[in-house]
Amino acid sequence: MTRYDVRSHEESIELLPWLVNNTLRGDEREAVEAHAKSCIVCRRELAELEALRESVQAASATVPAPDMRHINARIDTQLDRESRGRYLLEGLRDFFSSPWRAAFAAQSLALVAVAAMLMQSGTGEPQFRTLTTTESLPEGHYLRVVFDPSLEQATIDGLLADAGLAVAAGPSERGVLTLRFAEAADDADRSAVAATLRSDPRVLFLQPVATGD
Amino acid sequence: MSNEAGNRTTTTSERELLAAVVRRDRNAFAELYRTYQPRLYGYLRRFAANPVVVEEIVDDVMFVVWTDARKFRGKSAVSSWIFGIAYRKALTALRREGRYEAPLRRDVETADPRSGSQADIELIHAGLAGLSPDHRQVIELTYFCGFSYEEIAAIADCPVNTVKTRMFHARRRLKVLLPRLAGEKTEQGRDQV
Repeated sequence: MTRYDVRSHEESIELLPWLVNNTLRGDEREAVEAHAKSCIVCRRELAELEALRESVQAASATVPAPDMRHINARIDTQLDRESRGRYLLEGLRDFFSSPWRAAFAAQSLALVAVAAMLMQSGTGEPQFRTLTTTESLPEGHYLRVVFDPSLEQATIDGLLADAGLAVAAGPSERGVLTLRFAEAADDADRSAVAATLRSDPRVLFLQPVATGD
Repeated sequence: MSNEAGNRTTTTSERELLAAVVRRDRNAFAELYRTYQPRLYGYLRRFAANPVVVEEIVDDVMFVVWTDARKFRGKSAVSSWIFGIAYRKALTALRREGRYEAPLRRDVETADPRSGSQADIELIHAGLAGLSPDHRQVIELTYFCGFSYEEIAAIADCPVNTVKTRMFHARRRLKVLLPRLAGEKTEQGRDQV
């Protein structure tokens, strides 16, 4: 008996397709051939499989000559994409190879993080201050005024002195001054001062504000 | 018992070529392409009617070889690995009936005059077309490509016993589909089997 022991007809018959295509290992082939010699069913099956093999192989398409133009174009595109990615990585690696640049990058990152935190905390509880907000002012009558930004401080000081006003707060980021009336001024005086300033073209904005009333 | 399309042996040079492809050696890839293009074309042409589509699929297969060469672990032959890629493409082709029509029938370019008539060829392809994709693949890989059952298991990524079982069912189905062929070619008739 051969080294590859075909124990049953079933084992032999299932290997016949590969006996026909000549790919069984030596010991397998010998065992299957030995079985087939004494088995009429396997011999008949072999004949059928040989016919099948011939028929399958009978039709063969004409193979065109290898044409690598398309695949070469695809490979060129892929290599180009790879090299661009590699160039970017190498650029980043070069950039961070300098300790100064690395420190700069770290600092920038930290600044961005702080800015983000500040923005986030700012959005947590919105705070608004309008021109009529008076929470921080002592009781009294005030004017919110915006002067022409081209005015010099001395001119503004002169205008305020003429009107009997003093700076109570400001200027704000938007240039708003909160002006306090003289203590002796009554409603008529305050109205007259406000009317005078409103008519002055150098006053861009004016809004009376009262606290404590 | 020659294997028309199945020059199966994986030589050391093929492994070396694939290793060179991993290193992006385009000359090595061109050599692999020239080696496998005829075999892949012949195999894939069995499943797709349009020659242009077949050429596209061959390029798809070889492009995977180019991009994934490093995934070859050497557990199987290079040819099994490459045909494994083609096998999956062919299965897709078989299952996309809208695009891939019945292959090689009246549009057979050449027929071996030594073996059977054109009618027989058409008959066998009609029979093969009646098989399930997995069963048909086993027949094609065995008789058209000339692979061993171990190689087919590697190509189809399944156990060896599965290959044998698929072949068993494919043969049984073909006996039903091709009684005339079996009857003409055998001396004693299929009814005795």
